[in-house]
Amino acid sequence: MRHNYLLYRFIFLVITSAIISSCTKHHSLEITPIKYGDIIFTFSHKVNGESLKFDTMLYRTSLGNNYKVTDLQYFVSRVSLHSGKGKWNDVKTDDGIHYTDARDNYSCSWWVNDLFPAGTYDTVAFTFGLDEKQNTSGRFPDPPERDMFWPDILGGGYHYMKMNLKWKNNTMAQSLPFMFHLGIGQVYAANTVNPDSIIGFVQNYFRVSLPCKLDLSADGYHQILIEMNVDRWFDGQNAFDFSAYPNGIMQNQEGMFKACMNGRKAFSVTIAN
Amino acid sequence: MKRIWALCVLIIYRFLNFYLLFAVFSLLFIASCTKKTETTPAFHATPYTIQIPLHFPRELNIPTDNPMTVEGITLGRYLFYDGRLSGRPGPDSLMSCATCHIQAHSFVCGIDHPVFTGGHPHGLTGILTSHYMLPMINLVWTNHGYLWNGMVAEDNPQAGYRNLEDVVGMAIISSQEIHGDTNRTKIMIQQLKGYPGLFSKAFGSSVITEKNIARAIAQFIRTLISADSKFDRFMEGKVQLTGSELNGYVLFMTEQGGDCFHCHGGDGNPLFTTNLFYNNGKDSVFTDPYDRFSITGSVSDIGAYKAPTLRNLVFTAPYMHDGRFKTIDEVINFYSSGLVWSPSISPLMHHIATGGVRLTPSQKADLKAFLLTFTDSTFVTNPVFSMPINMPDE
Repeated sequence: MRHNYLLYRFIFLVITSAIISSCTKHHSLEITPIKYGDIIFTFSHKVNGESLKFDTMLYRTSLGNNYKVTDLQYFVSRVSLHSGKGKWNDVKTDDGIHYTDARDNYSCSWWVNDLFPAGTYDTVAFTFGLDEKQNTSGRFPDPPERDMFWPDILGGGYHYMKMNLKWKNNTMAQSLPFMFHLGIGQVYAANTVNPDSIIGFVQNYFRVSLPCKLDLSADGYHQILIEMNVDRWFDGQNAFDFSAYPNGIMQNQEGMFKACMNGRKAFSVTIAN
Repeated sequence: MKRIWALCVLIIYRFLNFYLLFAVFSLLFIASCTKKTETTPAFHATPYTIQIPLHFPRELNIPTDNPMTVEGITLGRYLFYDGRLSGRPGPDSLMSCATCHIQAHSFVCGIDHPVFTGGHPHGLTGILTSHYMLPMINLVWTNHGYLWNGMVAEDNPQAGYRNLEDVVGMAIISSQEIHGDTNRTKIMIQQLKGYPGLFSKAFGSSVITEKNIARAIAQFIRTLISADSKFDRFMEGKVQLTGSELNGYVLFMTEQGGDCFHCHGGDGNPLFTTNLFYNNGKDSVFTDPYDRFSITGSVSDIGAYKAPTLRNLVFTAPYMHDGRFKTIDEVINFYSSGLVWSPSISPLMHHIATGGVRLTPSQKADLKAFLLTFTDSTFVTNPVFSMPINMPDE
């Protein structure tokens, strides 16, 4: 009896081992381990090719406005990388949204948790600001993002960007503040900015697509440096004159439109492995 | 052969015996140790969870070494209201936090205070505080430093100037405030019947320390939450604002209106402050040595102060760091046409070219009506925040 039992056990073990070894062999033939690379996005800010210096009246627009920047905060969202194989790989970390305060070094680096397949990438793209689906009031209850809120009566959600400036031209005795704030624009029924006459809203966010050459290997972090060239918000095809908007542009769609047209050319990308 | 077997059994038996005895003694030893610790039960205070109101921030400023507990808050409330915090028993030497932080005035002393003329408090020594008072509301969400200039902040390199506990500790010893002596205060509180037991329940030790006094009071202050104003109920969809209040709301929330929201929050920030610092255009010459510039050394911070919360504005006159405005109307008039340019004026004061936002009389009335919707009467009458009926030694 005991002899039979041992025999059955032996046969069972042999069969099981055979099955397991065959399975293992089968899989080892088919699985090719996918390698992933890690990415850090870094945001830097320049004026005329030099690093932005805050609080110093160093800069001048093409229309002769001298200016200094006191604050620069903005959102980018739906950040995505386009692979050589023709596929867009979206950043999922933080829902693909990043807030940058140019005065805060910590916020200028974004370590994303996403694993991107190793390989070649040819484009970095992102939305400047937040689109309709993501730009919902109350999304960020905590500071600093909270303090970007855009009043509900003006369209709600969040400022895409707050760039606070002081400017002065040659005829002015003293500098004046300028709030270069971008977000949802309003359409007013009459020639007025009375919120009671708002008949529609304009989504001013825009997509930025920057060609690059990123060879993503599985070793170490790869840095994608996104650079904002601050001067380009004011210069170029839609030269921006601060004196034309004495009350700011939050309630002036024409001003925001002009700024956003310029903003499309304000970014560049560099890859640092 | 039998002998060998017998010998083996004996050896095994002896070894087993030895190990058995060892195991028994070990167990007894462990048991005796366990029994000992059971005689002094571990300290367990009851955790207290802050209920976060709708739309309020999720991140709370609570140091990890001072978690909120029911016992800590209870003790803190007693201490907050106990004049013997000064360490002096004489009736003319009593001073507590509540001497100046009066609930009916949203925890400022109030412009009509019988002792602190015009709402400017002074310490037991008679020395005036450097600035007028900030409302003690929703401080659990303070994230950019306490006081008008943000001196007490997490990133302060100097230990003892980093959190609310430090603010309490400073108030106890400051000559402009309680002017206590830490030893005298500790000895005084230690001698009062009831307090050692409360400290034991809150912190696991009946030995009273300066640190635990500050911790308890800070815990109580963190419970002082205002979230039941008409505006809060409006945001919850429970009430409607009047026509005038709605007009004021529009003025408050628009750049071309009053543009209050950039510094004071609004529907996206119900604290009604960003807790940030601004030179709001009060002066062109600056002599106060305790402005934000004194902390950061940045010239853009000259004449800058924290934007205070606008909650319960009706109770917290006078206004501004130097109490220069006695009424809400004066404040509105200032922002309407009284702004003064200076090189460090905040870029958010973008109406400076016209001296202010230039409101009409009816707009001013509307804006004021809206500001009054931040009034939270339950906050100033809530018995949980008020002076306990009896002190621990009574």
